[in-house]
Amino acid sequence: MRRTAVNFAFMILAFAVQNSIFPCIPFLSAAPNLLLILVFSYGFIYGQRSGMLYGFAAGLLMDLFYSGPFGFFTFAFLWMGYLNGSLSRYYYENYITLPLMLCTINELAYNLYIYFFRFFIRGKTDFIFYFKTILLPEIIITLLFTLFLYRFFLWYNRKLEAFDSKHTLKK
Amino acid sequence: MNSKGNKIVLAFLSILCIVMIAVTTLKDDWLSPLRTTVGYILMPVESGVNRVGKALYNHIQNREKLNSALEDNKALQEQISNLVTENTRLQEDSLELARLRKLYALNQEYGQYHMTGARIIAKDSGNWFKVFRIDKGSADGIRVDMNVIADGGLVGIVTDVGANYATVRSVIDDISRVSAMAMQSGDTCIVSGDLQMYREGKLKIDDINANADIKDGDKIVTGSISSKYVPGILIGYAKDIQVDSSRQTKSGSLIPVVDFGTIQEVLVITDLKSEIRESGSASAESSSPAAETSSSAPAQESTAPGDANKP
Repeated sequence: MRRTAVNFAFMILAFAVQNSIFPCIPFLSAAPNLLLILVFSYGFIYGQRSGMLYGFAAGLLMDLFYSGPFGFFTFAFLWMGYLNGSLSRYYYENYITLPLMLCTINELAYNLYIYFFRFFIRGKTDFIFYFKTILLPEIIITLLFTLFLYRFFLWYNRKLEAFDSKHTLKK
Repeated sequence: MNSKGNKIVLAFLSILCIVMIAVTTLKDDWLSPLRTTVGYILMPVESGVNRVGKALYNHIQNREKLNSALEDNKALQEQISNLVTENTRLQEDSLELARLRKLYALNQEYGQYHMTGARIIAKDSGNWFKVFRIDKGSADGIRVDMNVIADGGLVGIVTDVGANYATVRSVIDDISRVSAMAMQSGDTCIVSGDLQMYREGKLKIDDINANADIKDGDKIVTGSISSKYVPGILIGYAKDIQVDSSRQTKSGSLIPVVDFGTIQEVLVITDLKSEIRESGSASAESSSPAAETSSSAPAQESTAPGDANKP
């Protein structure tokens, strides 16, 4: 219970940092997609059900920020949480390669989703341009952040688990 | 069993999303209570985090600025004396200009609009969309479709309002389309955002009549026939105007006056175009040359994402 609350608090903080601090840094040509890291990591670590829950929440935050059709981002993040949750049986704590691969695939899928439904549909077909200027920088910087954030999640997750189990034992 | 349950939840939520997308594409109003409630929770977090980030950034910047400021100071002192002389000359000119304005009934100064200042507290961190959020909302009198300016130029339009925040879509966003005109000749055109062109700091400008008199360097302002933008706000300067292959129209690019990378504060014009129209400036509009040259422009201008799909 406590873990879920902390994770949600992290999600809101990540959302605020992502939208309020990263755009202020002028030399950063791309900003990491923190919400995406959170959703796929939580899905991967905790499984399908939690993945969906966190994905749904992250999507809602995004949809409330943008003024386009409501549900566009919720849909994407919901599925991201679910699909990554399906892979959680391969989850093994000290194994970082798989999460990094997952991060790349998720970033690609997420940006392709936006590109296709928001740009390609309107006849903006120069995919190579969008790939080079938007997708690639974002994937790289998100990967870098995953490297640190994923380990950080694992670390505090262990702490919280230990705390939670102690708590229930006392009861 | 558990995985089956998950699939049902997934299917249910997916359908919910799709229904929401469908409904809100058609009508966006009824979600505003929800957005407002969430705004109450998120806004303090966002503006707090924003303040910390900005303070850090400004501190570093100020250091750098101080050094260059000392050098600049000397040069500027010299400039001041030159400017004083020039100023007296310009004052005379401006008196003349005021008289001429009256003559042409072209009172299109920004001064005629009511404005309120706001701070940008969040921006889209990804590079797909050019939207941002300001710290004023319906409680401060902000309403949807109000125009937003900064640095003396057009920044964007309010698309969404909560009690204490508002979302603004800037003119450089890929789906933004503004009906505009050349300040001197009054020829109409459409200024649209384009991610590809914005990499070079430009906007797209097209739908110019082939015999229209728009040259490189001409001032482009919001048009009087626009349905959502109040007239006479500077957008930028025309560049690379060329005749299209069809020979019917001309197009080119536009250098915006606003530096979209660094804006932190904006002004919101609290006069709505639809209300200005009602209050009887219709006569002035029909007499302007812009209204005659093109009547198709307002139909092409779009602000809703749905409309932009069929340009």
